[in-house]
Amino acid sequence: MKISILGVAATKFGELWSVSPRVLAKEAMNNALKQSGLKAGDIDALFVGNMLSEILGNQANLGSLLVEELGVQIPAFRIEGACASGGLALHNAINSIKSGQYKTVLVLGIEKMTDHSQDEITNALMAAGSDEERMAGATFPGVYALMAQAYMKQYKVSEEELASVSVKNHYHGTLNPKAQFQFSISVADVMKSAKIADPLKLLDCSPISDGAAAVVITGENIIKKVRKPIQIVASEVGTDTLSLCDRKSFTSLLAVIDASTKAYKKAGLRPSDIDVAEIHDCFSISEAIATEDLGFSKKGEGAKDIAKGKRTLFKGDIICNPSGGLKACGHPVGATGIKQIVEITEQLRGVAGKRQVENARIGLTHNVGGSGAVAAIHILRI
Amino acid sequence: MSGIVGYGTYIPKYRLKLSEIAQVWGKEASEIETGLRIVEKAVPGFDEDSVTMGIEASKKAINMAGIDSSFLQAVYFGSESHPYAVKPSSTTLGEYLGVGNNYFAADLEFACKAATAGMQVTAGLLNSKAIEYGLVVGSDTAQGKPHDALEYTAASAACAYILGNKDPEMIAKILDMSSFSSDTPDFWRRDGVKYPSHFGRFTGEPAYFTHVLSEGKNLLAKSKLKPQDFSYCVFHMPNGKFPRIAAKKLGFTPEQLAPSLIVDKIGNPYSASSLLGLASVLDIAKPNQKIFFVSYGSGAGSDGFIFETTKEILQRRKKTIPVLKQMEDKIYISYSTYLRQTHAI
Amino acid sequence: MVTSPVKLWRRQKNTATLIGKKGKILQWTIIRVPAKSFIDQAPYPVVIVKMQNGENMIGQLVDWQQKDLIIGREVVSVLRRLRTEQEEDVIYYNIKFRPL
Repeated sequence: MKISILGVAATKFGELWSVSPRVLAKEAMNNALKQSGLKAGDIDALFVGNMLSEILGNQANLGSLLVEELGVQIPAFRIEGACASGGLALHNAINSIKSGQYKTVLVLGIEKMTDHSQDEITNALMAAGSDEERMAGATFPGVYALMAQAYMKQYKVSEEELASVSVKNHYHGTLNPKAQFQFSISVADVMKSAKIADPLKLLDCSPISDGAAAVVITGENIIKKVRKPIQIVASEVGTDTLSLCDRKSFTSLLAVIDASTKAYKKAGLRPSDIDVAEIHDCFSISEAIATEDLGFSKKGEGAKDIAKGKRTLFKGDIICNPSGGLKACGHPVGATGIKQIVEITEQLRGVAGKRQVENARIGLTHNVGGSGAVAAIHILRI
Repeated sequence: MSGIVGYGTYIPKYRLKLSEIAQVWGKEASEIETGLRIVEKAVPGFDEDSVTMGIEASKKAINMAGIDSSFLQAVYFGSESHPYAVKPSSTTLGEYLGVGNNYFAADLEFACKAATAGMQVTAGLLNSKAIEYGLVVGSDTAQGKPHDALEYTAASAACAYILGNKDPEMIAKILDMSSFSSDTPDFWRRDGVKYPSHFGRFTGEPAYFTHVLSEGKNLLAKSKLKPQDFSYCVFHMPNGKFPRIAAKKLGFTPEQLAPSLIVDKIGNPYSASSLLGLASVLDIAKPNQKIFFVSYGSGAGSDGFIFETTKEILQRRKKTIPVLKQMEDKIYISYSTYLRQTHAI
Repeated sequence: MVTSPVKLWRRQKNTATLIGKKGKILQWTIIRVPAKSFIDQAPYPVVIVKMQNGENMIGQLVDWQQKDLIIGREVVSVLRRLRTEQEEDVIYYNIKFRPL
């Protein structure tokens, strides 16, 4: 059975003060439905990816809440895996179709963060880590900073080389009208920005954002209805220990290697076959390591390759984060995994406007939860 | 007969110079330093309290005593800065030291003599053979109100003693003990109030000196010993001047007193003060030497002890970091850092 | 942040066994923008320590100076207060690390 994408939509990402979670959800879901040429009644089930609704807003039962915004009472589920909630929701939706239970499913990723203070959010995001890490006073940037320290030392990578990740993603962001930040930054800007957790600085870190994204997928044979359908040819998940200090490596995410190896095998592809990828750059170090774990760069050369422009639009070979990534497009935690699907779909359809990757035929999304405790990899092709 | 079978001390790393404090309040540093005979005081880290310091000191004492912590059958914790107003610290200590559940336990308060009172209780239990080993801890993160005289002397440290009643294990026997108690309101802290209050010069003659000297004289008379019979003397040290005067008035020489004067280097850590002084003496004493000891707690009272060292002290003392060495392991901090670390700002 | 006395009580026996153990710093960072419960302690280092028994632990580094932040620095585990509690909360003690 082939899983095809009927429609995608994402809201603007950013500090959307006046927009409530319900309004965000409705916008994303309705636009995805519209693009699919479907009505709410054509959907068999809703899968929602979200991390912080209970922790920040004291609201559970999201499946039922958000299905109200569709206007139909269909089965609805909320999936959580920290920042990988979106990718995991999609994975579960795909499985529900493959099981034969549902035919056409709507997947929504949504997060509303800016109603809360910076320290409430820093606290809340640590729910993605372990008790040990929380009680050590570690923060999310702190855990990734420990990885960055290890990576920089082992592979002799400089802070400036890491900074080039944020520079690239901000450049891409200037070409994305939905991105939270649409201005360029330089390596010097990153180096000057305030330290958050040594060596990571403010501009090495993705922002706090609101946003939603939705995708309609189906197991039905739609080749007669749509000329060049986009198909999801692999959806794989890997896990690793919750605590960073319990892992075998501080410079590689084994969950990503596991999931992507399975995904490439399922799709019958190699890393070099990927034309465009949306990477989970919660921090600059994350993207550097990801490009190595995914096989785009050799171990230890991820940051250096990015600094050389190998992942940049119009310059590189495997383009990473044309949307601006988490850094520039924004990171409403539960929405990111689905936004990545939206971006790759638009790239493969050739409708990505100013940030179009030429001849994009095969794309990959890389969605990670916590400091690497879970990873969801999807491969799409036209 | 009971005695000390092990001791341990803990002094936090941080020091605040009295001149730093004086500068903030526009006072003449040299005048204060001369008046109090103190130059700097020990300050706790941000996340230290009387319990965490007590655990550090106790672990060293247990190491010296060479017994498993489960053998301790009493834990008495004396402090005027217990973390809780109601909830025992003695059992928190017991839990983190692995003492088990079969032990006598209580928290004591009697200003600076809370722990020495605990020593007397423990000695009583040992003498009656109700227990074989008991742990006594004196620990304080003492605070003085900013701009108050006590701010210059109130310091932090912990001292732990394990007492036993098996002769061959004792490094110092308790030959005699007694106490002098009264209701003298020289220094106090009301429930719920952060800083203590005191009545200036009233804390001298009618308070410290009346009790220390009365107890001193009573103990000498009771034991039928003279000052010359002792190698060392230890008194509670609220500042550098008082113990020197008390020693002289009781007939002791400066040489007998000198090794105990930890106050000169770290200030007054309240419930740990006299006990730390005793530890400094035990660090250097030879076998078969007598030590004269009188503590003082405001409110008021004095506990007196006569200790006699044994040759066992030479062996067991090897397993400790001398107080002198600990006092030298220090980092200086500014007045503002001190306010931060003591949660004043 | 944990505030339950039950959780504190349940962890005690295990925490007690972890006091006074030596290890070496594997990685370090300095937290400058802390979570809510740690605001008054920042900035402070967080370290991953390779303990003598081969296991890794993560914890706050206390009584530190910049020169202690090197890989391989010997540290010992100590018991300290976890953070500044709310007025009515029970007091949490936790393992932290101190340079030897």
